[in-house]
Amino acid sequence: MPDVAADSAASASAGELVPFVPDTEIAVVYPLHHGLKPPISRVSISWARGNNLRVSLLRNPPSNSDSDGEIGGKVVEVNLDSGAADVREPAQWRRIAYGSVTPFALLQSRKNSASILSKLQSSPSPFHLDWWEYVMEYSKDIKELLGNPKSNYNPLIEDPKEVLKKGEEPTSLKAAWELMEMFYADKLCQSWLPERLVDWLADYDCLLSGDQPAVHSKLVEFQGTLVTLQVIEDDPKYWEVISSALAVGWLEIVVKLLRLHGSYQLDQISRRETENGLVETVAVLISMMPRMRPELKNGKLGECFKAKPDFMKAWEKWREQITKLDSSAFWVLCDHRQTREGLKNLIQIMLGNTEILCTATSHWIELYISHFLFIRPFTVGFESMYNLAQKCVKMKPMSSPHKLLRLIIGIIGENTEVVLAECSRGFGPWMVTHAIELLTARSDQADFLLHKEHDDIGGISMEELHRLVYAQVLTSHFLTWQIAPVYLTSCMRQGMSLLEVLLYRQPAQHNQLLLKNLEICRLYELDHVSSNIMKIAGVYHWKHGRKGLGVFWLQQARDEFLLNKIAQRLFDSVGKSISGESFKQWEGLIELLGSKSKPAGSLEFLHKYRDFKKLLQQVCDRKTPDAARHAADLLMLLMKNPSTPQRFWLPLLYDSLTLLSWQGRPLLNVSQTNLLLNKLQELSMASLRPGIVATDLPAEALDSVRLALATNLGRAILEEQ
Amino acid sequence: MEKSVATLDKGTTCTSWNYCGQRLATGSFNGFLSIFDSPDPASSSFTATSNIRIHEGGIVKIVWIPPEYGDAVACICGDGSLSLWEEIAEDGLPLQWKLCKIFHCKGSKVLDAQFGVIRTSLKMVVAYSDGHVKVYELLNPFELKNWQLQAEIQNVIDSVSTFGKASCFSASISWNPQRNESQEPSFVLGFNSDTPQLNSSKVWVFDQAHHRWLPVAELALSLDKSDQVFAVAWAPNVGRAYELIAVATRKGITIWHVRLNPGLDGRLSVEKVALLSGYEGEVWQMEWDMSGMTLATSGTDGMVRLWQSNFNGVWLEQAAFEPAS
Repeated sequence: MPDVAADSAASASAGELVPFVPDTEIAVVYPLHHGLKPPISRVSISWARGNNLRVSLLRNPPSNSDSDGEIGGKVVEVNLDSGAADVREPAQWRRIAYGSVTPFALLQSRKNSASILSKLQSSPSPFHLDWWEYVMEYSKDIKELLGNPKSNYNPLIEDPKEVLKKGEEPTSLKAAWELMEMFYADKLCQSWLPERLVDWLADYDCLLSGDQPAVHSKLVEFQGTLVTLQVIEDDPKYWEVISSALAVGWLEIVVKLLRLHGSYQLDQISRRETENGLVETVAVLISMMPRMRPELKNGKLGECFKAKPDFMKAWEKWREQITKLDSSAFWVLCDHRQTREGLKNLIQIMLGNTEILCTATSHWIELYISHFLFIRPFTVGFESMYNLAQKCVKMKPMSSPHKLLRLIIGIIGENTEVVLAECSRGFGPWMVTHAIELLTARSDQADFLLHKEHDDIGGISMEELHRLVYAQVLTSHFLTWQIAPVYLTSCMRQGMSLLEVLLYRQPAQHNQLLLKNLEICRLYELDHVSSNIMKIAGVYHWKHGRKGLGVFWLQQARDEFLLNKIAQRLFDSVGKSISGESFKQWEGLIELLGSKSKPAGSLEFLHKYRDFKKLLQQVCDRKTPDAARHAADLLMLLMKNPSTPQRFWLPLLYDSLTLLSWQGRPLLNVSQTNLLLNKLQELSMASLRPGIVATDLPAEALDSVRLALATNLGRAILEEQ
Repeated sequence: MEKSVATLDKGTTCTSWNYCGQRLATGSFNGFLSIFDSPDPASSSFTATSNIRIHEGGIVKIVWIPPEYGDAVACICGDGSLSLWEEIAEDGLPLQWKLCKIFHCKGSKVLDAQFGVIRTSLKMVVAYSDGHVKVYELLNPFELKNWQLQAEIQNVIDSVSTFGKASCFSASISWNPQRNESQEPSFVLGFNSDTPQLNSSKVWVFDQAHHRWLPVAELALSLDKSDQVFAVAWAPNVGRAYELIAVATRKGITIWHVRLNPGLDGRLSVEKVALLSGYEGEVWQMEWDMSGMTLATSGTDGMVRLWQSNFNGVWLEQAAFEPAS
């Protein structure tokens, strides 16, 4: 259902968030194809990434008779929004999405500096005056992205019969962007807007042919038949397309077509001299048409005038020449009826005959352009442009106007809300988010409207809302979610909160994704979010058997609470099997836990305990008196330390039997031995109480330790005497 | 536009996605819990990776525990029992789904259970068929078996209300999804029962000073107070001054604005901003999108509908989806 992606896109999310849509509009019902055998007993929903909605469709639980192996249900994912209408290729869409990030971010940062600067200076800053230039720079970058250079080629040998040149394949997205640019941002073209529109139509007329053929499609069709035509001027289509092309100002095409006229052929020129003269005169007059514009692109015809008085003078002179030609006596001498009538028709077009202009054009915008060219070349200001447009729409009504035409009406009708709605509905959230910058480039009124906070929807402005909607579209895809933060952070309050939600919803168990998430958090100083993400990752890894990784992430998150819980667990399990092999498993973790975090008392003990165990190992291996003395000191430290839990006393002493019964001289003096004996006594008393944790030590452990201590005491007394 | 992401086994009765939409848990009529995973985060094709029988009878609802506490689900079964299952690799053992805890309740069934993360602790609200609501607290994130009963409440706005033995058919709980530490934990709860006082949705807030749960708002106009509530959903708040809560009753879906700063009487100011109609039967489920701007709903008539507010604050149905084979 690709259409829904485009149409419902707007309706589902962005498009209808504008007041002008009638409230009574009934929501469109889309079929949700699942391929299951009915009936469906339950439908359950869950939002996935961004604007993706996952719908679980469940069938009735099977009865005994139902043993056909049918599946029990399906989960389908519905994408409610595509980023930009007309961009069907996901790769092309991503190119646009990624490419527009830098220009957008640059413009935002310039905007921020400009606002800081204007706050510092009480007088209007010169920066502000040049703002539109920055917007134009931005617009240029964006426009480059929207082009479709695929079909851009220049043939080495020009085909004389090729009237329409193939260039860049136009897209309505770019067409809409150019409209917004010329009307809202480009200050330089304001004095020659009508001519700018003529150029625009020349580039994008091909997009308009739908139910009705546009001038462009008529030309394409005619070009197809051109090679087969013997006597071109006999064909009424020839004259028809020439008048259509002239009406919309495609002068070079008109001239080229006129010069295909049979009278130019060498074998006929002597016979049809007058006829040829008339054709050529018309062609010359057409190519001399005065245009009120600063310049014309290479290969385009007409004479440019920058100043209005010069243009008026030239225009009047040009019209005089046409009138003169119209009443010339040479027409009587022209035998070829079609040529005579066709040329006269062209003259009428140039003289601005409304009726003929109306016949020559198909869409109201074409008629509109022809008015600018031949009837009202001085039309300036939105009001008169709008009135003229209304007149043309009346003359050429359309049942379902193209979205570009609706956008034009919105623009010249000076209705910002309609423009936004049309942008959003027709061209998607990408367009509206980026085009807002054009809209506000020179208009304070639009700026006010877009930044006004709407209390009814939670104090959000239209600009922010559109950015949020677009960011949500970006988050809908795995490959584009990373750029959503750029747009989210450009809306301070709502955007940052949404960014937090977005980051929280990224899977934390994939290391690469996690690192990306943390990078974003660092960039936007979202420390609390990053510690939460690291905590999720830490718990995940710990519980999934990767304990070291778990501890690492919890440490990165500086989560003392969880680290202490882990320390407690380690402590408990170490306490249970102190002499066992499993201690080795925990040793690494103890190391890891101790490296950075502020360990709790229990962990501090574990550290000392580990050191003690290592030392004891050395003593057993090498039997050096120094190491033994050192170990004995450490044992005393551990036994004296109040953070050493009671249940470790016996295991510690039992492990230290080698020290207690050290060959040579006793390692512990009388008072030290007495202290240990007291501890042992305390332990024997405590062991009578219920609830004491039983260790894995042999039953005779207590007795062996007692014996060793007693022996040591005896030896120590003797030594001290 | 739609694409299939998972095919479910015969007899599947409920589904639930985890926090990031990367794992799917399903329950079946004969007590099987299945977990579906995708090979990598970029993929949107999910296949079953584990399948265990957790109960003799059917599973009716599965709720994932918040990710800060690992990968675990609470399963409510047809007989009204509630059990907690966790995916864990214990010392030396491979990764497996393990039973952590079964919540027993004599004579009544569990109707709904939802988790809320509050600072360092996890809370779980459980609604029972006798109209009682219990709030449990988990103290150690590494031990999902140890839950402490923190409070027991009844869904009435004033504690003096008296009523006989309640019989509830369904309940719906939704936590305030904000993870803001400065806010007191809160949730909204509504019942579908034969006891009018219990039905209407009430907002409950934890009073830290007195360590108790307080009902601070009732989301029903005086005429609708006894209406049975089918579903409630608290919207994520990205910068609004008020909270947005959707409540579904027989009369339709109502959207409420709730301001979290209480008045002198301790009550929150609430405003009903919309009544959305369109469902023929019950509304079965309501889900807000991540921005809290779009509400998706599904109903017993099989329709999925999307609702949004326009700039004037008018709520409208924006699109609907009808299952078609």
